[in-house]
Amino acid sequence: MKMLVVFEKHPRIRHIGHLDLMRAMQRALRRSGLPVKFSQGFNPHLLITFAAPLSVGMPGKHEIMEIPLAAEVSESEFLTKLNAALPPELNCLSARGVEDKHPASMASLYAAEYEIKIAPEGAALCDAVASFMAQETIMALRKTKSGEKLIDIKPLIYKLEVTSPATLRCTLALSEAATCKCDLLLDALCAHAGIEDRPHTLSIRLQMYGKDFIPLELL
Amino acid sequence: MKEFSESKLEKILDTALKPARYTGGEMNAVIKPFDSADVTFAFCFPDAYEVGMSHLGIKILYHIINKQPWALCERVYTPWPDMADALRRENLPLFSIESRTPVRRFDILGFTLQYEMCYTNILEVLDLSDIPLRSCDRTEEDPIIMAGGPCAYNPEPLAPFIDVFQIGDGEEMMLEAIECVRKCKAEKASRLETLRALAKIEGIYVPAFYEATYNEDGTLKAFTPIDNAASPIVRKRIVRDLDKADYPDSFIVPYTEAIQDRSVLEIMRGCTKGCRFCQAGMLYRPVRERSLETLLKQADNLVNSTGYEEISLSSLSSGDYSHLSELCCALTERYADKKVSLSLPSMRLDSVVKQSLEEMQKVRKAGLTLAPEAGTQRLRDVINKGVTEEDLVRAVTDAFQSGWSTVKLYFMIGLPTETDADLEGIGHVAKQVMNCYFTVPKSQRARGLRVTASASTFVPKAFTPFQWQGQDPLDTIREKQHKLKDILYAVKGVNFNWHDPELSMLEACFARGDRRLADVLLAAWKNGCRMDGWSEFTNFEGWTKAFEDCGVDPAFYANRERGENELLPWDFIDAGVTRAFLWREWQRAQKAEVTPDCRKGCQGCGLQRFEGVCRK
Repeated sequence: MKMLVVFEKHPRIRHIGHLDLMRAMQRALRRSGLPVKFSQGFNPHLLITFAAPLSVGMPGKHEIMEIPLAAEVSESEFLTKLNAALPPELNCLSARGVEDKHPASMASLYAAEYEIKIAPEGAALCDAVASFMAQETIMALRKTKSGEKLIDIKPLIYKLEVTSPATLRCTLALSEAATCKCDLLLDALCAHAGIEDRPHTLSIRLQMYGKDFIPLELL
Repeated sequence: MKEFSESKLEKILDTALKPARYTGGEMNAVIKPFDSADVTFAFCFPDAYEVGMSHLGIKILYHIINKQPWALCERVYTPWPDMADALRRENLPLFSIESRTPVRRFDILGFTLQYEMCYTNILEVLDLSDIPLRSCDRTEEDPIIMAGGPCAYNPEPLAPFIDVFQIGDGEEMMLEAIECVRKCKAEKASRLETLRALAKIEGIYVPAFYEATYNEDGTLKAFTPIDNAASPIVRKRIVRDLDKADYPDSFIVPYTEAIQDRSVLEIMRGCTKGCRFCQAGMLYRPVRERSLETLLKQADNLVNSTGYEEISLSSLSSGDYSHLSELCCALTERYADKKVSLSLPSMRLDSVVKQSLEEMQKVRKAGLTLAPEAGTQRLRDVINKGVTEEDLVRAVTDAFQSGWSTVKLYFMIGLPTETDADLEGIGHVAKQVMNCYFTVPKSQRARGLRVTASASTFVPKAFTPFQWQGQDPLDTIREKQHKLKDILYAVKGVNFNWHDPELSMLEACFARGDRRLADVLLAAWKNGCRMDGWSEFTNFEGWTKAFEDCGVDPAFYANRERGENELLPWDFIDAGVTRAFLWREWQRAQKAEVTPDCRKGCQGCGLQRFEGVCRK
């Protein structure tokens, strides 16, 4: 069997990179004494997969990982034991046992919801949201390893709204086929609002979704 | 005063290099309410987080302090220069990792002194914390600045900056020190009264209570107490029974990879081999072992609480541990299911027990590190490294047969009495190691032979028989490095590494410096020197200018040979080994006379003066 685990990455440790987070989880599983599966080979390691890595600097309220197990364990026992082996900054919220052949979360991923807190000096960004979204196309410059590319991100923004004077909430595409990161959205929004220096922001990933915006862990 | 602001910090963290160095939240970090503790201790390793997190001593003392319900200990590291600059720019004070409390709010700020090239980082930490750099400028509001560790055995270059030095094993002394501060605080004692109370604890040295005078030739004339609380001789502390000494049942597990990111078992403390260049070998006497039973219990605790994939055994000379084979067997057997591997660092090459090697091989195979130190038997006799070429050949052949293919060889250049023949000898040793590999049949040996020869520059240290020796001048060292490069170039397949000789020269100054070097240190820091141990921040010009501006000649400290009767700046410390013993060893060294391991007969080093610590 494998466990679909929902966990929180606390803002305090938002700068921990993906590989470091993976290692921290592997060590927590070793501490927990749970019957985890090791990879074969010369340097055996624990098999964990994350639905989607978090960008460095971003906390997550509702992150998802899959942990294959070598023996049956109840969901509640799993949750209790793993939480006992984790620091308060990494906290598991739920665990759901599924069969090994259950589709991987990574493949079912479709979108993610974020909250973006903007520093007070950047509050003008919020005023630009309505006209920003009213555009027919939203061109943004995506920087990749192979260079820069101008793309239309409008179809990748499923929702963008102002929830308080300096806070945005958005749902953006996050899938194997297409992804729009918060940074790309913010760059485009700044350009639209005519703000040259992007204000400091703190983004947090709130939720991940599959098709039809069903929470990923329920799929 | 600077004020801490969480939002300002979060902002600068977003642009900092490796921000995870400053964020904490690691597994097993101890979180206590700051204001409920009677005594608060900020423990600083004056270097980058990933270096400091690897250090065993802090783990032990962090555990001991936090074990007291009335005390609290949090960690502090030297911010990387980009972060230090950002803190200054934003006017933020340096803060502790656990609770992000400004360092200045702690009762005590303690530094561990593991190497001399971290000294500018101490000034950097004090400055970033808004604490006056000099003891004499501190007020009742400032923390008491403590320091300990091997470099505290010659504390003098730091004398004006540190309030209290702890000399020797810290397990018991630290507890006495914080109990003393707790009592003084409760009695509302002044800073001076607190320092006086601390000075009465055995092993504690308060530099402000002493005065140094100098002869016309610049050598030390006298070193005398000027306060009634200070004793003329400060005797190092020794923990007599390691089985009874506190050892952490958990380590903080960092998120980012530390240099030493594994469980560590300290199997014994001290070494009786008597290598004459080795300061640790002299300072940590006598040898004390932990029992098998204690170690297995500690290993269980660490494996279960950390989830580390690897255990390493730590000591100055693990091969000398009485139950090494039993321990290795027991550990490999115990944790095979959990896929925890075992590694043995600092193996002296005369003790690479074949049986242990085979045990290790079951799990994982890291590179093998051997330290012949010198290229010829004559020079190895001078430094009393009781290792022969046959030992080396046997050890590497065994290792190659057991599947090792990566070997690192450590040498020193600039050792006393060294000649060109000794440099040639290093080439010869490297060649021998290569040959050993090829004598093992192809079917038995692993592929991909990698031999690395590394040559550091010898730095004479206090409390060693070489404490009277002058270090080779920079030009000589450079010349020797070039010769060695040519010699090793001729041995095909050997990689050669060497160190900056400038750094070794600075190290030599501070390793045997006196109080007058404090001004140079301060000037160098003001010239922008910090993180001196990192090649990307090497700023030798800053140091040269500091020496010039202070009118201090580095050669006086680094290169000058000291006479038999010269008063040395660290002579007021009783480190266990006597000056008479060290001088005797220095004389024997110059005649290339070997002194056997004292387990085979007492050599009269002086430890027997300490009651009940030395096994005859």
